[in-house]
Order: sequence, then C-alpha cells, then structure tokens
Amino acid sequence: MDAPSSSLPAALADLAVSPTGFVFDPASGQSFTVNDTGLAVLRGLRDGLEPDAIASRLATEFDAPEETIRSNLAGFVAQLHRYLT
Amino acid sequence: MNAPLRTAPWTRWTVAITGMNARPDNPGPGLAVARCLAESSDFQGRVVGLGYDTLDAGLYHRGVTGNGFLLPYPSSGADALWERLSDILDQEPIDAIIPCLDSELLNFLAIADRLARRGVRLMLPDRATIGRRGKDRLPELCAAIGADTPACERVSDAGYFDRCEAEGRCFPMVVKGVFYDAYVVHGPEEARMRFHQIAAQWGYPVLVQPFVEGHEVNLAAVGDGTGRMVGSVAMRKRAVTEKGKAWAGITTHDPQLQSLAARLVAELRWSGPLEVEALRDAQGRLHLIEINPRFPAWTYLSAGVDRNLPVALLRLMAGETDVALAPHAAGVMFVRYAQEVIVGLDALEGVTMTGQSVPSRPAAAPLFVPC
Repeated sequence: MDAPSSSLPAALADLAVSPTGFVFDPASGQSFTVNDTGLAVLRGLRDGLEPDAIASRLATEFDAPEETIRSNLAGFVAQLHRYLT
Repeated sequence: MNAPLRTAPWTRWTVAITGMNARPDNPGPGLAVARCLAESSDFQGRVVGLGYDTLDAGLYHRGVTGNGFLLPYPSSGADALWERLSDILDQEPIDAIIPCLDSELLNFLAIADRLARRGVRLMLPDRATIGRRGKDRLPELCAAIGADTPACERVSDAGYFDRCEAEGRCFPMVVKGVFYDAYVVHGPEEARMRFHQIAAQWGYPVLVQPFVEGHEVNLAAVGDGTGRMVGSVAMRKRAVTEKGKAWAGITTHDPQLQSLAARLVAELRWSGPLEVEALRDAQGRLHLIEINPRFPAWTYLSAGVDRNLPVALLRLMAGETDVALAPHAAGVMFVRYAQEVIVGLDALEGVTMTGQSVPSRPAAAPLFVPC
C-alpha cells in the first residue's frame, strides 16, 4: 500500500487526541473529529506502525476484510495530510 | 522640573487605558486590557477609561473602570490631547497610560515628556521605530531580518487600478488603509470602490499589496525596549467579524511565529506592547502582514492562559528587569460575546456635558427622573 504515513509531519506526535475522537493540532489551532476507526488508525500511526501493520491490527479489532481497510486507510491518511500541513 | 514619580508599587497604580469602544465588528482593545488588570490577583490599583465617543462602553463599565473620560479625537492634535489630559490629571493621579489605538500613538509620543513631568509613565516605541513598522515599510524591515512579506505600493490615484494589470500586477490584490481596514479586491471596479472608501475614512496614501493565499496567525507580545520579548501569546482565529476581527480564537504552539516576533522585537528594540499579524501559506511559509504597535482586542486571552501581558507591561513600566513569561499552553480558546452595560442618566449626562462619567463633585441637584 502506498499510504505515505512515514511522510506525515512530526506534528502527528503533538496532536491532542481525546478518547472521544476530538483531535486538536496545537501548531495550527485546527481541530477535527474522528470516529472509532479513525481513532484506531491515529493510535497506530502515533505508535509508529506502518500502514500494513495498522491494517492488520484494524482487521482484527473490527473484524473487517483487510483489503477494504487498506483502501480506506490510504484515504484517511491522505486527508490527515491535508489537515496537518 | 519633573514631578516625582509616585512611589506606589505598580500593583496600586492608577492606570488610564484608551480604546474603550466595544463596537461588535471592531472593538477597541481597551476593555480587554482593563479586564486583564481588573482580574489580576496582583493588581489592586485603579483603571480609568479614556474614550472618544459618548457610547464607548468602557467609560461606563464600573466592573473594570473606576471612571471614564472623553478625549479629543486624534485629528485634533497633540496639544489638544495634552490640554485635556492635564484636566484629567488634576482629578485622577494617573501613574501610567496604556494607549490602545494606532491613530493616537503619535500624539501620545509627542506629549510623553510633558506626561513624564506630571509623573505619568508611558511605554511606547519611539517615533522612528513606529515608522519602521509601517505597513508600507515592511519589505525593508523584513529584508533586515530575513522574513517574507508581500510587496507594498502607496497609491494616491484610483486610476492605478485601470493600468496595474498592464504593468504586471495581478488580481486579486489587497487594498489597505495606512492605519485600519483591508479589503481583498478582485477587479478594477471593486478596487476603485474600496480605494475611495478607505481614502475617505483614513486619508492618503492607500496601500496596495498582492494577495497571499493562506490563513492568518496572530501573536501579541511585550518588548522591554532592549530587544527582548518578555512574553507572548500566539493564536489562530476561529471566527471573525465582517471586518475580519477575531470573534473566537485559540492559542497555538507556533515556534515559527514566535521566532519571527522575537526577531522583529530584537531588530526594532521594541518598547511596549505589539501584535504581529502574519499569513501562513499552503507551503507553510510565514508572510508578515502587519505589526500593530499596541495590544490587540483579543488581549484578554493572555489572561486566559495565565500570561497576563498588560500586567507584564506594568511591571516593565515600574522598572522591573526580570520580567519573563514562560511559553503558554496551546488549545485555550476565547469566544467573544456582547454584554450590555446599564448606564444611568447621570453618567450619560456626565460624559456628554463634562466629558467624564463619574463627576468630580456631586451634582447640586439630582437630574430629573422621567416618569
């Protein structure tokens, strides 16, 4: 998968992430919300996992096809890029 | 011979603050600065409001000001301001003045020596420094510190907009007043309209800049006059009025903006409060847009993050040399709201007829009470 998680800005580590899915970027002052799946992805990215590993983790956690998760994951990471840059 | 400075500690000063209007689309900073002092646990002194209009809310807001006085408009000149302040000083032993409006600063600078002889402190940059941060001189200043800013042209003729594209300029562009107001314009007709609007209200020249796409970031700070920025608060607007003023904003952790502000304060050896306005483009580059030589209207946020900038200013004015505010927390938001001040007829009469909201002497007879 080509999700560019390794190129996400260092700001990912600085995000304030609430268990409710509320996310605040202290660098830009922007805030946004993520659902449970998005929260799980963010957790994986902040844990330093590669996209494939995140997809595997989510497939187990949400009992969903890994291929579906991979394509959604790529879209989510691309959107995260737009919010954080 | 100078009057001796009153020896009371800054915590017990009487501080006069201008900019007391609370117009929702463009409120003056004065009430926010006054609130910072009123809500400081250290400040036990008195705040006096100085305004230019009978409906300046801060003249009447006894929650933050002990009295309110009208001043002559800045266009009346420094001597008129001094004459009025002399009268006020006969009633109020003011220890310090915090001017909060761009248009009055040069007048206050012009009378600074006279104020000092009456024991009144001011902390402002000198005239040359105020000139150096003028909107039309930012390119020169930014070249000195290695910062980016849009080019700026001084325009005195609306015909400029009919020929500017042939001369290589592009729409959209930004048309600005020297002191206030800025509009993004998308064509010659709109540009001419805004040009005349700004010229009619603020005079010439009108400034024109290329439009930079990006989001605005703001930082309020205080300089100690030696090149040191003693404290700062950075924020991003979350909601704006029709005039682009912050109605809500949230503090940010912005090292790039902090660095820009610190370099400006160092280069200018800035003395007193300032606000740095910049645009961050899609590539993350900062473009300096404006340096306001006074506190901004959102200054109360500094108290909200426990980095009370007006208090820091008073400490500097009192001669403290160890003022240094630690970096503030990010993620603290302000949301502005409109609140009414109830004004008795006697206070309105006082401001209208004598230029002050609390009379120096009790009225000989109570004002008529309408049935």
